[in-house]
Formats: sequence, structure tokens, C-alpha cells
Amino acid sequence: MTPDDTTRQALTTLIPRLRRFARVLTGNQADADDVVQACLEKAMLNLDQWQPGTRLDSWVFRIARNTWIDDRRRAHNRAGYEDIGEMIDLAGDDGVAIAEASAEARMVRAAVDSLPAEQRDVVALVMLEEMSYREAADALGLPIGTVMSRLSRAKAALAKRIGGEGAVQ
Amino acid sequence: MTPSFTDAQLAAFLDGTLEDEALIDAIEAAINDDPALAERVEALSGSDETAAAVRDAFAPVLDMPVPEHLTRIVAAPASAEVVDLAAARATRKLPVPANDTGSTWRWPQFAAMAASLVIGVMIGGPLLTGGGAGGGSADGSLVLASADLDTMLDTAPSGQAVDLASLGTGEVVLTFRNADGQLCRQFMIEGAGATSDALACADAGGDWQVEAYGRRAAPVGEMKLAGGDAAPAVVAAVDAMIDSDVLVGADEAAELAKK
Repeated sequence: MTPDDTTRQALTTLIPRLRRFARVLTGNQADADDVVQACLEKAMLNLDQWQPGTRLDSWVFRIARNTWIDDRRRAHNRAGYEDIGEMIDLAGDDGVAIAEASAEARMVRAAVDSLPAEQRDVVALVMLEEMSYREAADALGLPIGTVMSRLSRAKAALAKRIGGEGAVQ
Repeated sequence: MTPSFTDAQLAAFLDGTLEDEALIDAIEAAINDDPALAERVEALSGSDETAAAVRDAFAPVLDMPVPEHLTRIVAAPASAEVVDLAAARATRKLPVPANDTGSTWRWPQFAAMAASLVIGVMIGGPLLTGGGAGGGSADGSLVLASADLDTMLDTAPSGQAVDLASLGTGEVVLTFRNADGQLCRQFMIEGAGATSDALACADAGGDWQVEAYGRRAAPVGEMKLAGGDAAPAVVAAVDAMIDSDVLVGADEAAELAKK
């Protein structure tokens, strides 16, 4: 079987979104890139399991999420939360402009990071990837109502944190 | 039977403004049981300021330069063969895709794929194929071959023939630094049936990554230095990457020491 160049190209294009997805799941970019690395390796080894005609991104996100869950189960004793803003700042050598990202963006990221894990993946798919509830439900293997309720609770928590801190100037 | 909810309740549920936890759970359960209700709720979803704020906050992640070690995973061809050694061995007698014409591995394709392959990957495939019958049939030979190669690339001066056990004889042809400051070495391996050329650069972790390789069709009688004889893919890769003087003698040894 010849490797599918088109699929590999599509995977390469997906990497930035995959990093963002993993970043939301893990809470910092270093762990996120570990997840992305393992995810891409698995995806390459199992390319034949992806069914052309179905969404490649959903397939890869599912792999990433499973990778992350396995990783957490192994209870790696990782360093605690880095300041997410700094992680993003550090990640780009020439990203000085990124480092100057607004305080609000930083605060919103912190708010997302503070959500329970089962809400973060829903946030990542519906809010960031702009999937429909149905697509997110399929990607996560959850009933659609559960996706909706998790997002509902996530929105409530985010609104409280973002609105609350924003009001303090 | 499905309990009934008002549109206002369902909209509040979607917006995250419903504070009654029991009601949230009830709506979730009802939606899970009733596809028609799910559709009705989906139709209620509108613009979402929170989502927009979250997208803005994480947008910088999308713009960060992607680390090369991530793109490399996807660029590496047929990585499954690396893991499946039996399959890799089974293909040995088949024609090798990269031959002396370099048709499969011309530099533009390499650049486009941002390919940078782990040495073990290469050894598992074509280079071992060039090793001829008998060589490297034991399971451990891949590791051995890779270790021998690593040692040669780490220490051997250009122009010195090095015994690579089952792989044959190796020789570093050229040492230089690329535009990223990585130390790169072009080398050749003369096996029983064929001679292969390759270019490897040391990554940040000090591991050698093969940037290009090619195989000469016919065995050559004696070692030859870089130039027209090397596989075109490798010559092209060297031309494209070289960003320093060719390092020789004491300079080369000093650069190797700090890689």
C-alpha cells in the first residue's frame, strides 16, 4: 500500500488546529505538543483506518483526545500548571507580538483552563473548531444533549470568570 | 414520555444562563432521548460572544511556528514499515523506489514534504536493501547498523573508511553547517550489491536525521569522493543546504565535538 500523499498533506495542514485543540485539553503548550506528537504518530500508523469521505479532522481530534486521556490515566507526574500565557509566549521565538497578547486573551485562556476536563474538549470542538453539536457529539462519542449541557455549564463558568474579572478593571 | 420545555428555557440552556442544575440535567436527558427535541434546540443556537472571545484568545496558537519534529512525523513516508520489521524485510527483494536517477527523491519533493527522516527509518528500508543477501537478517541488526552509523557520523573524519558491519563500509564525504546552524554530513555506504549516498544533519537533541538519500544502480569498485558520482538527490540536497565552508581536518573535529 502506498502512503497517501494527499492525506499526509491534509494532516500537515491540520497540525496548527491540532495543537490548539491539544492546548485546550492539556492547559499548556508543552504537554499539548507531546499529545500532538503521539497523536500524529498514531495517525500515521493507522492511516488505513481512516475512511475517506469522513472527516479527517474529527478522526484526528478523536485520536488526540484518546491519547490525552490515556496520558492522564498514566498519571504522569508532570509539573503543574504553567502560566498559559507564558507558555504561548515562549513557544514562538519571534513571537514577541504574540507575547504582548492582550491581558484579556490571557484571562480568557486561564478561564478555559480552569474548566473541568470534560467541558474543555467540548469547548475546543464547538467554540474553537466551530463544529455543530452533532459533529462534536460524533467526534467525542457522546450523546448530543450531553454535549449541549457540558457546553452550557462551560459557558456559564466562562461568563462568570470573564465577566467577573473584567469588571475589576 | 418527554417533558416539555419552553423555547426560553432551551435558549437559556444553550446560552449557559440557566442556573437550575436539575433543569439542565432534565433537558440534557430529554434531548438525548428525543432527536426531534435535539433538532429544535440546535435551531435555537445563535451568535455566541463567549465563543468569539475564546477563539480570539487561542488564535495565537494557530499562528505559532509548528515545531519541525511534528511536521516530520507526517512527512515520513511509510512509517509503518519501520515498525513492522518483518514486512520491511519481506520487501527487500523488491525493486527499490529510490534508485540512482533520484527520481523518487528529487530535492523539490523533499523540500515540499519538509522531509527529515530518522536514520533508523532509512536503514530499515532501502539502505539495508543495498546490503545484499545475508547481511542484517537478525532482528537486532537494525539497531546495530544504526549505532555504527551514529558513531561514524559522530566521530569519523571525512575521507576515512569505516566498517559498518552488516551494512558494509561507510565513509563521510563532506561536513558542513546548514542555514540553521546544524552540522550536516554527506556520507556513503558501500554494501555488497550497491552503494548508497545520504545526507544527515544533527538535530537539536544531537540525533542524526537523514535529509536525503539515494542509491547508485551499480556497485562501484572503490570508494569515491563527493561529486558527480553521488546520487543526484543527495548532491542536490547538499547544494541546497550548505551554508558554510566545507569543514575538514581540525576544524571538522572541533565542530564534531560540539555538533
